Amino acid sequence: MDNHINKAEPNKWVERYSELMYQYVLPRVNDNDIAQELIQETFLSALKAINGYRGIASEKNWLFSILKNKIIDYYRKKALQRGIVTMPDLQEYDNEWFDTGGQWVEEKAPKNWQVPENIIERKEIQRIINWCKDHLKNLQQQVFTLRYMEELDSDEICKVLSITPSNYWVLIHRARLQMRSCVEKKMV
Amino acid sequence: MKKFIMKYLMLNCKDATFLMSKRDEGKLSMIDRMRLSLHISICHLCRKFEKQITEIGLGTKNVHSDFQLPVDVKSKLKKVLDEMGNSLVENF
Ligand SMILES: [Zn+2]
Repeated sequence: MDNHINKAEPNKWVERYSELMYQYVLPRVNDNDIAQELIQETFLSALKAINGYRGIASEKNWLFSILKNKIIDYYRKKALQRGIVTMPDLQEYDNEWFDTGGQWVEEKAPKNWQVPENIIERKEIQRIINWCKDHLKNLQQQVFTLRYMEELDSDEICKVLSITPSNYWVLIHRARLQMRSCVEKKMV
Repeated sequence: MKKFIMKYLMLNCKDATFLMSKRDEGKLSMIDRMRLSLHISICHLCRKFEKQITEIGLGTKNVHSDFQLPVDVKSKLKKVLDEMGNSLVENF
């Protein structure tokens, strides 16, 4: 399919990629208008940069890498508007999950999962994961999204969200605890 | 005696799950890595946690919406792109 030198064909972008881009970006920003805006910005940026496109990456990968940058920019802007993060007492936060000795509280401890093999149920798991992610608290959700959907590392995430590493580790820990127990509840 | 060992040589589950995120990004010291694998080797709950978080991470990476982009949005995008394309050509 793509074994020739790739040539950008902007007049075909919307037909070819807008749907895919939409389905990619929507769960990552949780907002229909913003999702559409980012797609439009991606196309426009790509058009401006079209002379720099050498056809080494496929047209699709090239557009998606621009889209990913737009998503990260969106989180960066959001963080700048928000101002400095003040974290709740770090000692207190996980009393919900662990007792005073740091052992799992019984009703919050991980249970056995029946992880389905077939693809339709996998799709179902993704729906559950997305639902749980949408119900994370604000910053936990941002950290989780950038870590697991955009696959940034902790240093990058701290920069994008203007948080300290110690904030980050607490947030990602909470997000992981919260996600695991939410997915478990929804799977049953 | 068992309690003594638990307290002084072992991580508790709270610290173990906390350190797992750091380990996944290669940010643990050698000694903490050892303490963590020791804890995981004897704690079936944290072992489950680790496995399930891995599952969730893999699932999350692949999350896509199955919503469709409305047709009118597509035509709007096309229009914007056309206009922009034309103005770029004119500028050459
Ligand atoms: Zn444990």
